[in-house]
Amino acid sequence: MSLLAVRDLSKRFGGVNALAGVTFEVEQGDVLGIIGPNGAGKTTLLNCISGLYRPDTGDIRWETTSIRGLAPYRIARLGIGRTFQIVRPFPSMTVRENTAMGALFGRPGARLQPGAALNEADTVLDVVGLGEKRQYPVLRLTVPDRKRLEVARALAMRPRLLLLDEVMAGLNQVEIEQALEMVRRVRDSGVTIVLIEHVMKVIVGVCRRALVLNFGRTLVEGPPAEVLKDRRVIEAYLGQRYARDQEP
Amino acid sequence: MSVRRVAYVVAGLALAFVVLAPLTSIDAAQQAGLPLLTDKLWFRIATTVAMFVVMASGWNIIGGLTGYASFGNVAFFGLGAYTAGVVVTNLNLPFAIALVLAPIVAATFAVIVGIPLLRLRGHYFAVATLGVGVAVGEVINNIEPLGAATGLFLPIIRSDVLFFYLMLGTAILAVLTTWVILRTRFGYGLLAIRENEEAAAVIGVNTTFYKVAAFCIAAALTGIAGAIFAQWNSFINQDNAFAISDNVQMILMAVIGGTGTVLGPVAGAISLELIIQRLAGGGSGSVFSQIGLGVLLAVCVIFIPRGVIDFFGGRSKLSLRYFRQTLRETSA
Repeated sequence: MSLLAVRDLSKRFGGVNALAGVTFEVEQGDVLGIIGPNGAGKTTLLNCISGLYRPDTGDIRWETTSIRGLAPYRIARLGIGRTFQIVRPFPSMTVRENTAMGALFGRPGARLQPGAALNEADTVLDVVGLGEKRQYPVLRLTVPDRKRLEVARALAMRPRLLLLDEVMAGLNQVEIEQALEMVRRVRDSGVTIVLIEHVMKVIVGVCRRALVLNFGRTLVEGPPAEVLKDRRVIEAYLGQRYARDQEP
Repeated sequence: MSVRRVAYVVAGLALAFVVLAPLTSIDAAQQAGLPLLTDKLWFRIATTVAMFVVMASGWNIIGGLTGYASFGNVAFFGLGAYTAGVVVTNLNLPFAIALVLAPIVAATFAVIVGIPLLRLRGHYFAVATLGVGVAVGEVINNIEPLGAATGLFLPIIRSDVLFFYLMLGTAILAVLTTWVILRTRFGYGLLAIRENEEAAAVIGVNTTFYKVAAFCIAAALTGIAGAIFAQWNSFINQDNAFAISDNVQMILMAVIGGTGTVLGPVAGAISLELIIQRLAGGGSGSVFSQIGLGVLLAVCVIFIPRGVIDFFGGRSKLSLRYFRQTLRETSA
Protein backbone atom coordinates (compact mmCIF):
# COMPACT_ATOMS: atom_id res chain seq x y z
CA MET A 1 0.00 0.00 0.00
CA SER A 2 1.40 3.36 -0.98
CA LEU A 3 1.42 6.44 1.25
CA LEU A 4 -0.32 8.68 -1.28
CA ALA A 5 -2.19 7.51 -4.35
CA VAL A 6 -3.59 9.99 -6.87
CA ARG A 7 -5.95 8.44 -9.38
CA ASP A 8 -7.30 10.02 -12.55
CA LEU A 9 -7.42 13.50 -11.00
CA SER A 10 -8.93 16.34 -13.01
CA LYS A 11 -9.72 19.97 -12.33
CA ARG A 12 -11.21 22.55 -14.67
CA PHE A 13 -11.14 26.32 -14.38
CA GLY A 14 -13.77 27.58 -16.79
CA GLY A 15 -12.59 26.35 -20.17
CA VAL A 16 -9.12 25.36 -19.02
CA ASN A 17 -8.35 21.78 -18.10
CA ALA A 18 -5.71 22.46 -15.47
CA LEU A 19 -5.57 18.78 -14.62
CA ALA A 20 -6.89 16.18 -17.04
CA GLY A 21 -6.51 12.77 -15.46
CA VAL A 22 -3.28 12.56 -13.49
CA THR A 23 -2.38 9.26 -11.84
CA PHE A 24 0.62 8.45 -9.67
CA GLU A 25 1.62 6.93 -6.37
CA VAL A 26 4.14 7.90 -3.71
CA GLU A 27 5.69 5.24 -1.49
CA GLN A 28 6.81 5.83 2.07
CA GLY A 29 10.33 7.33 2.00
CA ASP A 30 10.11 8.26 -1.68
CA VAL A 31 11.27 11.56 -3.18
CA LEU A 32 9.16 12.36 -6.22
CA GLY A 33 9.98 15.31 -8.45
CA ILE A 34 7.22 16.89 -10.52
CA ILE A 35 8.36 18.92 -13.52
CA GLY A 36 6.65 20.42 -16.51
CA PRO A 37 6.39 23.66 -18.47
CA ASN A 38 4.53 26.65 -17.06
CA GLY A 39 0.81 26.03 -16.86
CA ALA A 40 1.22 22.25 -16.87
CA GLY A 41 -0.87 21.94 -13.71
CA LYS A 42 1.84 21.32 -11.12
CA THR A 43 0.66 23.79 -8.51
CA THR A 44 -2.99 22.90 -9.16
CA LEU A 45 -2.06 19.31 -8.36
CA LEU A 46 -0.52 20.35 -5.05
CA ASN A 47 -3.53 22.53 -4.24
CA CYS A 48 -5.83 19.55 -4.84
CA ILE A 49 -3.76 17.30 -2.58
CA SER A 50 -3.61 19.85 0.23
CA GLY A 51 -7.33 20.53 -0.03
CA LEU A 52 -7.28 24.15 -1.22
CA TYR A 53 -9.00 23.05 -4.45
CA ARG A 54 -11.67 20.42 -4.72
CA PRO A 55 -10.91 18.15 -7.68
CA ASP A 56 -13.68 17.64 -10.27
CA THR A 57 -13.10 13.92 -10.75
CA GLY A 58 -10.70 11.29 -9.55
CA ASP A 59 -9.56 10.28 -6.10
CA ILE A 60 -6.73 11.03 -3.68
CA ARG A 61 -5.99 8.30 -1.15
CA TRP A 62 -3.87 8.70 1.96
CA GLU A 63 -2.87 5.17 2.92
CA THR A 64 -6.27 3.48 2.94
CA THR A 65 -8.69 6.40 3.13
CA SER A 66 -9.84 8.93 0.56
CA ILE A 67 -8.96 12.52 1.41
CA ARG A 68 -10.68 14.02 -1.62
CA GLY A 69 -12.73 17.05 -0.64
CA LEU A 70 -11.54 17.16 2.98
CA ALA A 71 -10.96 20.61 4.48
CA PRO A 72 -7.32 21.76 4.26
CA TYR A 73 -6.87 21.73 8.04
CA ARG A 74 -7.95 18.09 8.25
CA ILE A 75 -5.53 17.10 5.53
CA ALA A 76 -2.77 19.02 7.30
CA ARG A 77 -3.42 17.17 10.56
CA LEU A 78 -3.24 13.81 8.77
CA GLY A 79 0.44 14.59 8.24
CA ILE A 80 0.63 16.39 4.91
CA GLY A 81 2.62 19.63 5.05
CA ARG A 82 3.19 21.99 2.15
CA THR A 83 4.99 25.16 1.13
CA PHE A 84 3.83 27.83 -1.28
CA GLN A 85 5.69 28.85 -4.42
CA ILE A 86 5.00 32.49 -3.59
CA VAL A 87 5.90 32.48 0.09
CA ARG A 88 3.09 33.15 2.55
CA PRO A 89 4.59 33.97 5.92
CA PHE A 90 2.62 35.58 8.75
CA PRO A 91 4.16 39.05 8.32
CA SER A 92 3.72 40.52 11.79
CA MET A 93 5.37 37.56 13.51
CA THR A 94 8.99 36.68 14.03
CA VAL A 95 10.71 33.76 12.31
CA ARG A 96 10.35 31.70 15.47
CA GLU A 97 6.66 32.49 15.88
CA ASN A 98 5.96 31.68 12.25
CA THR A 99 7.56 28.30 12.63
CA ALA A 100 5.82 27.62 15.94
CA MET A 101 2.45 28.01 14.22
CA GLY A 102 3.09 24.78 12.34
CA ALA A 103 3.79 22.91 15.58
CA LEU A 104 0.83 24.55 17.29
CA PHE A 105 -1.81 23.53 14.76
CA GLY A 106 -0.48 20.91 12.39
CA ARG A 107 0.37 18.10 14.78
CA PRO A 108 -1.85 15.07 14.70
CA GLY A 109 -2.88 13.95 18.17
CA ALA A 110 -1.81 15.80 21.30
CA ARG A 111 -2.13 19.58 21.23
CA LEU A 112 0.87 21.68 22.11
CA GLN A 113 0.62 24.86 24.13
CA PRO A 114 2.20 28.03 22.66
CA GLY A 115 5.32 27.75 24.85
CA ALA A 116 6.04 24.17 23.83
CA ALA A 117 5.44 25.06 20.19
CA LEU A 118 8.05 27.83 20.37
CA ASN A 119 10.62 25.37 21.73
CA GLU A 120 9.74 22.97 18.95
CA ALA A 121 10.30 25.80 16.45
CA ASP A 122 13.89 26.23 17.66
CA THR A 123 14.70 22.61 16.78
CA VAL A 124 13.23 22.92 13.32
CA LEU A 125 14.93 26.24 12.60
CA ASP A 126 18.29 24.62 13.17
CA VAL A 127 17.45 21.95 10.59
CA VAL A 128 16.67 24.52 7.88
CA GLY A 129 19.55 26.79 8.85
CA LEU A 130 17.60 29.72 10.24
CA GLY A 131 18.65 29.14 13.85
CA GLU A 132 20.54 32.38 14.17
CA LYS A 133 17.75 34.46 12.68
CA ARG A 134 14.94 33.09 14.85
CA GLN A 135 14.16 36.47 16.43
CA TYR A 136 14.09 38.36 13.12
CA PRO A 137 10.81 39.82 11.97
CA VAL A 138 9.88 38.03 8.77
CA LEU A 139 10.06 41.21 6.73
CA ARG A 140 13.80 41.39 7.33
CA LEU A 141 14.45 38.00 5.72
CA THR A 142 15.93 37.63 2.25
CA VAL A 143 14.11 35.61 -0.41
CA PRO A 144 16.09 32.38 0.15
CA ASP A 145 15.51 32.68 3.89
CA ARG A 146 11.79 33.19 3.36
CA LYS A 147 11.73 30.00 1.33
CA ARG A 148 13.51 28.23 4.17
CA LEU A 149 10.92 29.58 6.57
CA GLU A 150 8.16 28.07 4.44
CA VAL A 151 9.87 24.71 4.81
CA ALA A 152 10.43 25.23 8.54
CA ARG A 153 6.78 26.01 9.18
CA ALA A 154 5.71 22.88 7.31
CA LEU A 155 8.35 20.74 9.06
CA ALA A 156 7.20 21.94 12.47
CA MET A 157 3.98 20.06 11.78
CA ARG A 158 6.06 16.86 11.81
CA PRO A 159 4.51 15.83 8.51
CA ARG A 160 4.90 12.35 7.01
CA LEU A 161 4.59 13.83 3.55
CA LEU A 162 6.02 17.19 2.56
CA LEU A 163 4.87 18.97 -0.60
CA LEU A 164 7.45 21.51 -1.76
CA ASP A 165 6.36 24.00 -4.42
CA GLU A 166 9.44 25.44 -6.13
CA VAL A 167 11.48 26.15 -3.03
CA MET A 168 14.58 26.70 -5.18
CA ALA A 169 13.14 29.10 -7.75
CA GLY A 170 14.94 32.43 -7.72
CA LEU A 171 17.95 31.16 -5.79
CA ASN A 172 21.55 31.42 -7.03
CA GLN A 173 23.90 28.47 -7.39
CA VAL A 174 25.30 28.63 -3.86
CA GLU A 175 21.85 29.00 -2.35
CA ILE A 176 20.59 26.05 -4.41
CA GLU A 177 23.39 23.89 -3.01
CA GLN A 178 22.42 24.92 0.52
CA ALA A 179 18.74 24.27 -0.15
CA LEU A 180 19.59 20.86 -1.65
CA GLU A 181 21.47 19.99 1.53
CA MET A 182 18.39 21.00 3.51
CA VAL A 183 16.08 18.81 1.42
CA ARG A 184 18.46 15.86 1.83
CA ARG A 185 18.46 16.34 5.60
CA VAL A 186 14.68 16.34 5.61
CA ARG A 187 14.59 13.21 3.44
CA ASP A 188 17.09 11.46 5.71
CA SER A 189 14.92 12.23 8.72
CA GLY A 190 12.31 9.95 7.18
CA VAL A 191 9.90 12.41 5.58
CA THR A 192 8.46 11.49 2.21
CA ILE A 193 8.77 14.37 -0.25
CA VAL A 194 6.95 15.48 -3.37
CA LEU A 195 8.63 18.50 -4.92
CA ILE A 196 7.86 20.72 -7.85
CA GLU A 197 10.97 22.16 -9.41
CA HIS A 198 12.23 23.83 -12.55
CA VAL A 199 15.87 23.47 -11.57
CA MET A 200 16.90 20.17 -13.15
CA LYS A 201 19.94 19.91 -10.93
CA VAL A 202 17.58 19.50 -7.98
CA ILE A 203 15.49 16.84 -9.69
CA VAL A 204 18.60 14.81 -10.53
CA GLY A 205 20.19 15.60 -7.18
CA VAL A 206 17.55 14.38 -4.74
CA CYS A 207 14.66 12.71 -6.54
CA ARG A 208 14.32 8.99 -6.90
CA ARG A 209 11.59 9.38 -9.48
CA ALA A 210 10.37 12.18 -11.68
CA LEU A 211 6.94 12.84 -13.11
CA VAL A 212 6.51 15.16 -16.08
CA LEU A 213 3.20 16.96 -16.46
CA ASN A 214 2.10 18.67 -19.66
CA PHE A 215 -1.31 20.24 -20.26
CA GLY A 216 -2.63 18.58 -17.12
CA ARG A 217 -1.60 15.08 -18.15
CA THR A 218 1.20 12.76 -17.16
CA LEU A 219 3.73 12.84 -20.00
CA VAL A 220 6.48 10.58 -18.67
CA GLU A 221 7.29 8.98 -15.35
CA GLY A 222 10.51 7.28 -14.30
CA PRO A 223 14.04 7.76 -12.94
CA PRO A 224 15.10 11.41 -13.33
CA ALA A 225 18.07 10.83 -15.63
CA GLU A 226 15.97 8.86 -18.11
CA VAL A 227 13.02 11.23 -17.94
CA LEU A 228 15.16 14.25 -18.78
CA LYS A 229 16.48 12.53 -21.91
CA ASP A 230 13.04 11.55 -23.13
CA ARG A 231 12.21 13.15 -26.46
CA ARG A 232 8.64 13.99 -25.41
CA VAL A 233 9.96 15.93 -22.44
CA ILE A 234 12.40 17.94 -24.54
CA GLU A 235 9.56 18.67 -26.99
CA ALA A 236 7.32 19.89 -24.22
CA TYR A 237 9.95 22.25 -22.87
CA LEU A 238 11.76 23.41 -26.01
CA GLY A 239 9.47 22.65 -28.91
CA GLN A 240 9.31 19.90 -31.53
CA ARG A 241 11.85 21.43 -33.90
CA TYR A 242 14.50 21.66 -31.20
CA ALA A 243 13.84 18.05 -30.25
CA ARG A 244 14.14 16.97 -33.92
CA ASP A 245 17.44 18.82 -34.33
CA GLN A 246 18.83 17.02 -31.31
CA GLU A 247 18.18 13.57 -32.85
CA PRO A 248 21.42 11.80 -33.65
CA MET B 1 11.47 53.71 33.43
CA SER B 2 10.16 53.02 29.98
CA VAL B 3 7.31 54.92 28.40
CA ARG B 4 5.32 51.71 28.42
CA ARG B 5 5.65 51.29 32.16
CA VAL B 6 4.67 54.88 32.80
CA ALA B 7 1.61 54.35 30.61
CA TYR B 8 0.67 51.25 32.60
CA VAL B 9 0.99 53.08 35.92
CA VAL B 10 -1.04 56.04 34.70
CA ALA B 11 -3.69 53.73 33.28
CA GLY B 12 -3.80 51.77 36.55
CA LEU B 13 -4.21 54.91 38.65
CA ALA B 14 -6.90 56.23 36.35
CA LEU B 15 -8.74 52.92 36.52
CA ALA B 16 -8.48 52.78 40.33
CA PHE B 17 -9.80 56.33 40.53
CA VAL B 18 -12.70 55.62 38.21
CA VAL B 19 -13.61 52.48 40.15
CA LEU B 20 -13.20 53.92 43.63
CA ALA B 21 -14.63 57.40 43.16
CA PRO B 22 -18.31 56.40 43.18
CA LEU B 23 -17.77 54.17 46.22
CA THR B 24 -17.64 57.18 48.45
CA SER B 25 -20.84 59.14 48.58
CA ILE B 26 -21.28 61.94 46.11
CA ASP B 27 -21.16 64.50 48.92
CA ALA B 28 -17.87 63.14 50.24
CA ALA B 29 -16.36 63.20 46.79
CA GLN B 30 -17.44 66.79 46.28
CA GLN B 31 -15.93 67.83 49.57
CA ALA B 32 -12.71 66.08 48.65
CA GLY B 33 -12.74 68.14 45.47
CA LEU B 34 -12.99 65.21 43.05
CA PRO B 35 -14.83 66.61 40.09
CA LEU B 36 -15.18 63.39 38.15
CA LEU B 37 -18.29 61.27 38.65
CA THR B 38 -19.85 63.58 41.19
CA ASP B 39 -22.43 64.93 38.82
CA LYS B 40 -24.83 63.16 36.54
CA LEU B 41 -23.24 64.34 33.32
CA TRP B 42 -19.89 62.85 34.17
CA PHE B 43 -21.53 59.63 35.26
CA ARG B 44 -23.25 59.46 31.94
CA ILE B 45 -20.04 60.12 30.05
CA ALA B 46 -18.09 57.55 32.09
CA THR B 47 -20.77 54.91 31.48
CA THR B 48 -20.79 55.75 27.76
CA VAL B 49 -17.01 55.45 27.62
CA ALA B 50 -17.20 52.02 29.27
CA MET B 51 -19.90 51.01 26.79
CA PHE B 52 -17.67 51.96 23.88
CA VAL B 53 -14.73 50.13 25.46
CA VAL B 54 -16.88 46.99 25.27
CA MET B 55 -17.91 47.62 21.67
CA ALA B 56 -14.41 48.57 20.48
CA SER B 57 -12.86 45.57 22.26
CA GLY B 58 -15.52 43.28 20.80
CA TRP B 59 -14.91 44.67 17.34
CA ASN B 60 -11.18 44.24 17.88
CA ILE B 61 -11.62 40.48 18.38
CA ILE B 62 -13.18 39.98 14.93
CA GLY B 63 -11.77 43.03 13.12
CA GLY B 64 -8.39 43.42 14.80
CA LEU B 65 -7.30 39.90 15.74
CA THR B 66 -9.02 37.98 12.95
CA GLY B 67 -8.79 40.67 10.28
CA TYR B 68 -12.47 40.70 9.34
CA ALA B 69 -13.64 44.33 9.44
CA SER B 70 -17.26 43.99 10.47
CA PHE B 71 -19.56 46.94 9.85
CA GLY B 72 -22.48 45.06 11.35
CA ASN B 73 -21.45 44.61 14.98
CA VAL B 74 -24.06 47.18 15.94
CA ALA B 75 -26.64 44.51 15.09
CA PHE B 76 -25.37 42.53 18.11
CA PHE B 77 -25.73 45.64 20.25
CA GLY B 78 -29.27 46.15 19.01
CA LEU B 79 -30.20 42.51 19.47
CA GLY B 80 -28.86 42.63 23.02
CA ALA B 81 -30.86 45.78 23.69
CA TYR B 82 -34.05 44.33 22.27
CA THR B 83 -33.54 41.06 24.14
CA ALA B 84 -33.45 43.10 27.34
CA GLY B 85 -36.49 45.06 26.21
CA VAL B 86 -38.54 41.95 25.52
CA VAL B 87 -37.44 40.17 28.70
CA VAL B 88 -38.17 43.13 30.95
CA THR B 89 -41.32 44.58 29.38
CA ASN B 90 -43.07 41.84 27.36
CA LEU B 91 -42.17 38.95 29.66
CA ASN B 92 -41.99 40.88 32.93
CA LEU B 93 -38.86 39.06 34.02
CA PRO B 94 -36.01 40.59 36.04
CA PHE B 95 -33.26 42.49 34.25
CA ALA B 96 -30.66 39.93 35.44
CA ILE B 97 -32.20 37.33 33.14
CA ALA B 98 -31.88 39.77 30.25
CA LEU B 99 -28.17 40.10 31.03
CA VAL B 100 -27.79 36.33 30.59
CA LEU B 101 -30.01 35.99 27.54
CA ALA B 102 -28.66 38.99 25.58
CA PRO B 103 -25.19 37.53 24.87
CA ILE B 104 -26.75 34.17 23.96
CA VAL B 105 -29.13 35.75 21.45
CA ALA B 106 -26.37 37.90 19.94
CA ALA B 107 -23.92 34.98 19.71
CA THR B 108 -26.53 32.72 18.12
CA PHE B 109 -27.23 35.37 15.52
CA ALA B 110 -23.47 35.67 14.93
CA VAL B 111 -23.29 31.96 14.11
CA ILE B 112 -26.25 32.17 11.74
CA VAL B 113 -24.91 35.12 9.74
CA GLY B 114 -21.24 34.31 10.35
CA ILE B 115 -21.20 30.96 8.59
CA PRO B 116 -22.21 32.39 5.20
CA LEU B 117 -20.65 35.87 5.56
CA LEU B 118 -17.24 34.88 6.89
CA ARG B 119 -16.55 33.23 3.53
CA LEU B 120 -16.25 36.73 2.11
CA ARG B 121 -13.13 38.80 2.56
CA GLY B 122 -12.10 42.43 2.65
CA HIS B 123 -14.60 44.93 1.27
CA TYR B 124 -17.13 42.24 0.48
CA PHE B 125 -17.32 41.19 4.11
CA ALA B 126 -17.52 44.82 5.23
CA VAL B 127 -20.40 45.61 2.87
CA ALA B 128 -22.26 42.38 3.63
CA THR B 129 -22.10 42.95 7.39
CA LEU B 130 -23.17 46.57 6.91
CA GLY B 131 -26.21 45.22 5.09
CA VAL B 132 -26.97 42.84 7.95
CA GLY B 133 -26.66 45.63 10.50
CA VAL B 134 -29.12 47.84 8.66
CA ALA B 135 -31.49 44.99 7.77
CA VAL B 136 -31.88 43.70 11.34
CA GLY B 137 -32.74 47.20 12.53
CA GLU B 138 -35.30 47.64 9.73
CA VAL B 139 -36.93 44.29 10.44
CA ILE B 140 -37.27 45.00 14.15
CA ASN B 141 -38.62 48.43 13.29
CA ASN B 142 -41.56 46.67 11.64
CA ILE B 143 -42.40 44.07 14.28
CA GLU B 144 -45.41 45.19 16.29
CA PRO B 145 -44.69 43.28 19.56
CA LEU B 146 -41.26 44.90 19.60
CA GLY B 147 -42.77 48.35 19.59
CA ALA B 148 -42.28 48.81 15.84
CA ALA B 149 -41.36 52.41 15.00
CA THR B 150 -42.39 53.67 18.45
CA GLY B 151 -39.70 51.72 20.24
CA LEU B 152 -39.77 49.97 23.59
CA PHE B 153 -40.00 51.61 26.99
CA LEU B 154 -38.38 49.81 29.90
CA PRO B 155 -39.28 50.49 33.53
CA ILE B 156 -36.84 53.05 34.84
CA ILE B 157 -34.20 51.98 37.35
CA ARG B 158 -32.77 55.08 38.97
CA SER B 159 -29.23 54.17 39.83
CA ASP B 160 -26.38 55.78 37.96
CA VAL B 161 -23.91 53.84 40.07
CA LEU B 162 -25.43 50.47 39.15
CA PHE B 163 -25.20 51.06 35.41
CA PHE B 164 -21.75 52.54 35.68
CA TYR B 165 -20.53 49.44 37.48
CA LEU B 166 -22.32 47.08 35.10
CA MET B 167 -20.73 48.76 32.08
CA LEU B 168 -17.36 48.96 33.78
CA GLY B 169 -17.56 45.27 34.70
CA THR B 170 -18.43 44.36 31.12
CA ALA B 171 -15.59 46.53 29.84
CA ILE B 172 -13.13 44.75 32.15
CA LEU B 173 -14.58 41.42 30.99
CA ALA B 174 -14.04 42.45 27.35
CA VAL B 175 -10.43 43.50 27.98
CA LEU B 176 -9.69 40.33 29.95
CA THR B 177 -11.25 38.21 27.20
CA THR B 178 -8.94 39.80 24.64
CA TRP B 179 -5.95 39.35 26.94
CA VAL B 180 -6.72 35.67 27.47
CA ILE B 181 -7.39 35.03 23.78
CA LEU B 182 -4.02 36.52 22.83
CA ARG B 183 -2.27 34.05 25.12
CA THR B 184 -3.92 30.89 23.87
CA ARG B 185 -3.73 28.59 20.88
CA PHE B 186 -7.07 30.03 19.78
CA GLY B 187 -5.60 33.53 19.64
CA TYR B 188 -2.64 32.42 17.57
CA GLY B 189 -5.09 30.78 15.18
CA LEU B 190 -6.98 34.06 14.77
CA LEU B 191 -3.74 35.97 14.11
CA ALA B 192 -2.71 33.37 11.54
CA ILE B 193 -6.05 33.81 9.75
CA ARG B 194 -5.56 37.59 9.73
CA GLU B 195 -2.02 37.34 8.41
CA ASN B 196 -2.62 34.73 5.71
CA GLU B 197 -5.73 32.63 5.69
CA GLU B 198 -4.63 30.00 3.18
CA ALA B 199 -1.33 29.48 4.95
CA ALA B 200 -3.27 29.12 8.21
CA ALA B 201 -5.51 26.48 6.65
CA VAL B 202 -2.68 24.30 5.32
CA ILE B 203 -0.85 24.23 8.64
CA GLY B 204 -3.98 22.89 10.32
CA VAL B 205 -6.06 25.86 11.51
CA ASN B 206 -9.79 25.12 11.28
CA THR B 207 -10.38 28.53 9.76
CA THR B 208 -14.19 28.43 9.52
CA PHE B 209 -14.61 27.38 13.16
CA TYR B 210 -12.10 29.95 14.40
CA LYS B 211 -13.65 32.83 12.49
CA VAL B 212 -17.18 31.99 13.60
CA ALA B 213 -16.02 31.57 17.21
CA ALA B 214 -14.31 34.98 17.14
CA PHE B 215 -17.45 36.54 15.66
CA CYS B 216 -19.49 34.86 18.42
CA ILE B 217 -17.32 36.21 21.23
CA ALA B 218 -17.46 39.71 19.75
CA ALA B 219 -21.23 39.40 19.44
CA ALA B 220 -21.73 38.17 23.01
CA LEU B 221 -19.74 41.05 24.51
CA THR B 222 -21.48 43.62 22.33
CA GLY B 223 -24.84 42.05 23.19
CA ILE B 224 -24.26 42.50 26.93
CA ALA B 225 -23.44 46.16 26.35
CA GLY B 226 -26.68 46.49 24.38
CA ALA B 227 -28.74 44.96 27.17
CA ILE B 228 -27.24 47.25 29.80
CA PHE B 229 -27.78 50.23 27.51
CA ALA B 230 -31.45 49.35 27.06
CA GLN B 231 -32.15 49.27 30.79
CA TRP B 232 -29.95 52.28 31.49
CA ASN B 233 -31.54 54.43 28.80
CA SER B 234 -34.99 52.86 29.52
CA PHE B 235 -35.98 53.54 25.93
CA ILE B 236 -34.81 51.80 22.77
CA ASN B 237 -35.74 52.14 19.12
CA GLN B 238 -34.08 51.55 15.78
CA ASP B 239 -32.17 54.81 15.92
CA ASN B 240 -30.40 54.34 19.22
CA ALA B 241 -30.04 50.54 19.24
CA PHE B 242 -28.99 50.02 15.62
CA ALA B 243 -27.07 53.23 14.94
CA ILE B 244 -24.60 52.71 12.12
CA SER B 245 -22.69 55.68 13.52
CA ASP B 246 -22.04 53.57 16.65
CA ASN B 247 -20.52 50.94 14.42
CA VAL B 248 -18.30 53.49 12.70
CA GLN B 249 -17.29 54.83 16.11
CA MET B 250 -16.28 51.46 17.53
CA ILE B 251 -14.13 50.81 14.48
CA LEU B 252 -12.53 54.26 14.74
CA MET B 253 -11.76 53.67 18.40
CA ALA B 254 -10.16 50.30 17.79
CA VAL B 255 -8.17 51.61 14.81
CA ILE B 256 -6.99 54.77 16.52
CA GLY B 257 -6.08 52.92 19.71
CA GLY B 258 -4.42 50.06 17.89
CA THR B 259 -6.11 47.02 16.37
CA GLY B 260 -4.98 43.63 17.53
CA THR B 261 -3.76 44.89 20.90
CA VAL B 262 -5.39 44.43 24.31
CA LEU B 263 -5.38 48.04 25.45
CA GLY B 264 -5.65 49.78 22.08
CA PRO B 265 -9.46 49.75 21.93
CA VAL B 266 -9.56 51.01 25.54
CA ALA B 267 -7.26 53.92 24.79
CA GLY B 268 -9.19 54.65 21.58
CA ALA B 269 -12.59 54.50 23.27
CA ILE B 270 -11.60 56.77 26.14
CA SER B 271 -9.82 59.40 24.06
CA LEU B 272 -12.27 59.46 21.18
CA GLU B 273 -15.40 59.50 23.31
CA LEU B 274 -14.01 62.38 25.38
CA ILE B 275 -13.14 64.26 22.20
CA ILE B 276 -16.61 63.62 20.81
CA GLN B 277 -18.27 64.85 24.01
CA ARG B 278 -16.10 67.96 23.94
CA LEU B 279 -16.69 68.76 20.28
CA ALA B 280 -20.37 67.90 20.14
CA GLY B 281 -21.63 70.96 21.98
CA GLY B 282 -24.61 71.02 19.66
CA GLY B 283 -25.32 73.35 16.75
CA SER B 284 -22.48 73.88 14.33
CA GLY B 285 -20.11 72.21 16.80
CA SER B 286 -21.26 68.73 15.86
CA VAL B 287 -20.46 69.40 12.20
CA PHE B 288 -16.89 70.24 13.17
CA SER B 289 -16.78 67.15 15.33
CA GLN B 290 -17.69 65.00 12.31
CA ILE B 291 -15.06 66.71 10.18
CA GLY B 292 -12.51 66.44 12.96
CA LEU B 293 -13.17 62.70 13.39
CA GLY B 294 -12.77 62.13 9.67
CA VAL B 295 -9.46 63.98 9.55
CA LEU B 296 -8.28 62.19 12.67
CA LEU B 297 -9.07 58.79 11.16
CA ALA B 298 -7.25 59.61 7.91
CA VAL B 299 -4.17 60.84 9.75
CA CYS B 300 -4.14 57.81 12.07
CA VAL B 301 -4.56 55.24 9.32
CA ILE B 302 -1.77 56.79 7.26
CA PHE B 303 0.78 57.66 9.93
CA ILE B 304 0.11 55.40 12.90
CA PRO B 305 -1.66 52.39 11.38
CA ARG B 306 -0.72 50.28 14.37
CA GLY B 307 -2.48 52.70 16.70
CA VAL B 308 -1.51 55.00 19.52
CA ILE B 309 -0.64 52.08 21.82
CA ASP B 310 2.16 51.06 19.49
CA PHE B 311 3.04 54.70 18.88
CA PHE B 312 3.55 55.58 22.55
CA GLY B 313 4.41 52.23 24.05
CA GLY B 314 6.06 50.40 21.17
CA ARG B 315 9.64 49.67 20.39
CA SER B 316 10.38 53.00 18.78
CA LYS B 317 10.79 56.53 20.05
CA LEU B 318 8.56 59.37 19.09
CA SER B 319 10.25 60.58 15.99
CA LEU B 320 9.88 61.20 12.30
CA ARG B 321 11.69 57.92 11.81
CA TYR B 322 8.74 56.09 13.33
CA PHE B 323 6.38 57.59 10.73
CA ARG B 324 8.72 56.86 7.86
CA GLN B 325 9.22 53.31 9.01
CA THR B 326 5.54 52.48 9.51
CA LEU B 327 4.75 54.08 6.17
CA ARG B 328 7.31 51.83 4.53
CA GLU B 329 6.22 48.70 6.31
CA THR B 330 2.49 49.07 5.91
CA SER B 331 2.10 50.45 2.41
CA ALA B 332 1.83 47.63 -0.07
